[in-house]
Amino acid sequence: MQLIRLWILTTAKRLNRSARYKHVKKNINEILNNPENPFKKYIDLVMMFFIITSVAILVYEVQHAVPEWMDAYDIYFVSSVFLVEYLLRLWVHTDLYKMVISASKRAHILEIEFSLRVPMIKAIKKTAKYMLTPAMIIDFLAILPAYRELRILRVFVLFRVFKLLRYTKSINQFVEVLQNKRFELLTLLFLLMFVMVTAGIAIYIFEEHLNPQINSLFDALYWALVTIATVGYGDISPVTHEGRVVSMIIIVTGIAMISFATSVIVSAFSEKLIQLKESRIIEQVNKSEEFLLICGYGQMTKMFMRQRESDDHDYVILEKDKDKYNQAIKDGYDAVKEDASRHDTLAKFNVEYSRITILCLLNSDIENIYISLNAKSVSHHIRVIARASNASMVQKFKRAGVDHVLLPNSVATMMMQTAIIEPHLYKAAHAILTGKDVAVFDEVRLYPEDALVGKRVKEISFKKMRLLLMAIEKAEDREFLFNPSSDTVLKSGDVLILMGYRIGLEYFKEFYHESVK
Amino acid sequence: MNRKIFLFGYGKHGRAIAKGLMGKGFRLSIIESDKKNHKASKADGFTDTILFDVTDDDNLEALVVAPEDELICVMDDEHLNVFLALSLRPLFPECYILAISGSIYTSQKLLMAGADKVIDLYEVSANRIHNLLKRPVSTRFLDKILSDNNGFSFREIEVPEGSFLNGVMVEDVNFYVCRVLLIGLVDLGQGEHFRFITSGDEYTLDSGDQIVCLGMDKDLDNFEAMIKKSEETICVWPS
Repeated sequence: MQLIRLWILTTAKRLNRSARYKHVKKNINEILNNPENPFKKYIDLVMMFFIITSVAILVYEVQHAVPEWMDAYDIYFVSSVFLVEYLLRLWVHTDLYKMVISASKRAHILEIEFSLRVPMIKAIKKTAKYMLTPAMIIDFLAILPAYRELRILRVFVLFRVFKLLRYTKSINQFVEVLQNKRFELLTLLFLLMFVMVTAGIAIYIFEEHLNPQINSLFDALYWALVTIATVGYGDISPVTHEGRVVSMIIIVTGIAMISFATSVIVSAFSEKLIQLKESRIIEQVNKSEEFLLICGYGQMTKMFMRQRESDDHDYVILEKDKDKYNQAIKDGYDAVKEDASRHDTLAKFNVEYSRITILCLLNSDIENIYISLNAKSVSHHIRVIARASNASMVQKFKRAGVDHVLLPNSVATMMMQTAIIEPHLYKAAHAILTGKDVAVFDEVRLYPEDALVGKRVKEISFKKMRLLLMAIEKAEDREFLFNPSSDTVLKSGDVLILMGYRIGLEYFKEFYHESVK
Repeated sequence: MNRKIFLFGYGKHGRAIAKGLMGKGFRLSIIESDKKNHKASKADGFTDTILFDVTDDDNLEALVVAPEDELICVMDDEHLNVFLALSLRPLFPECYILAISGSIYTSQKLLMAGADKVIDLYEVSANRIHNLLKRPVSTRFLDKILSDNNGFSFREIEVPEGSFLNGVMVEDVNFYVCRVLLIGLVDLGQGEHFRFITSGDEYTLDSGDQIVCLGMDKDLDNFEAMIKKSEETICVWPS
């Protein structure tokens, strides 16, 4: 006994030290339970495939004989996959070794004898509690059909359908909606029971001896339910006046109750609809590798959205003000009514696996700085581009960790001055800075297999494509070589900075990048 | 430079613009309706500042405005700005009216009211975000050019009378040797529009034409000095 205790303690300590063990456990937990994990999606799809094939075989089996391999697949293979999954879930849920270690520490500090009983009981309690959650019960029932001796257990294959709930979120949301209206629906159910029992007893008393179809209280209750539900098979019908009066009353009550139940469910859904839509937008965007979070739907955001060239849904607008949120929805953008300065809001997004850029475009420096800090505290990987009201604020934004600071006011003032002092230059600068089609800046990155690599600048017909080679960002030191000479040789990794017509740039990219292949 | 600048508004933007124009040889007149802003303009050292209600046409009419003068509407109140542009247009039909706007809808209204040019506060910044996301390297390059203290700049240069560039085709000028990059020009022979060099059309330089170049400040200075000469071969390709 002493030996076993010692062995368990040393094992626990070894596991606690092993980074690999923790890493594996954490990864398995992520894949099973973290909806943001990119691999979970695939595991879920595979599991759904197993479930659907398994149920399909059962349905087919009802009338046909199935080949043996199919039976074996269904009974042994799928069941063992489920068993493994079940055991893994139990494994990752409880950390026994941690409990053992904390108990041993406690024993050490209090100078009492270390006993395995306390951590064991604690772990068993925790596991048992977890096993009794509905999802785990269903998982357990889905494994049962593997025990062939009991034919009845075959029916439990149907529980595998419930298992689908684990892998599809929309059904969960449906259940959630109903759960929110639990009180109303339960009240209604009790009312229904009450009316059904009263009416059933009434008809039983009135017609027990007069109506040959009503022989027991069960018949009476059955009749009452069929009538209340407005189904009315007509296999049992009242024959006395008293009985018919009861029917009339419960038919009216029935209609009222059905419409009430319907309205409760419908209103629950319409209340949830916005929330469902929002969570769908968030889920959708979380799937993309790279996306934008735009805080605030003000003038700046409107301008930004207007200038967007693509129709991709790789962005979400976060707006806490109701009117502005409605405006964004009306303008056809993906918006969520959330406060970006709250930690929870940003934590909903896939900060671990996606590259997120957050744009703080609100009209207030205080808000923008707060959101920037919030974003950086959620994850350092989030890139922040923020708007500042004037140049004196830039330092503060930089200290908050903002990657790029925008200064719309000073830029506009500068443009204004240029327009007054050098009107022609203004036109050039304006066209370039606002990305007008006549003068677009763009860059072309050269890859090793590119046709342009090794060529001299003069060999490339920039002029023919109406492009101006402004500079080359050299691969060696990432420095700009301004106005490169015509003898400059292009290397892989260089970035060409070109200016010209949008069509010219597109053509250039097509022409040189296509010719590679 | 004879044209006079009338700056309507000495608030958030007006103040910065006025300071930027200070000492650049412009005749500047500041008009304000707000007492506090008017005082601020005096305190900042502007002498030609007037305080009156800009919504009153009689006051505006009393201004001495020549046709080549420029009217800049940068009142803090956007609605007032639109109203002002609308009042100024019929009073001074030949003047150039420049206005600032804080939203897409205001820009539209200002243009309808008669402003010749409207600068949108957010247009440039919004485009900058797009560029930061899509074209990080060229944005870094642009930043480098546009920031004040790196010696790089855009410059607008007028082709002087008697320059060797007179009558030369743009194609024939070797700007590379002068270490400047020609971005575009106003060829008076083809109208007053600014044209980008990448348009692909052929232009002949004449005195009075404006060319916009990009380069290091000292190279631009050299270039500017060089084109004043009547004889120069280094900059023209030997034919």
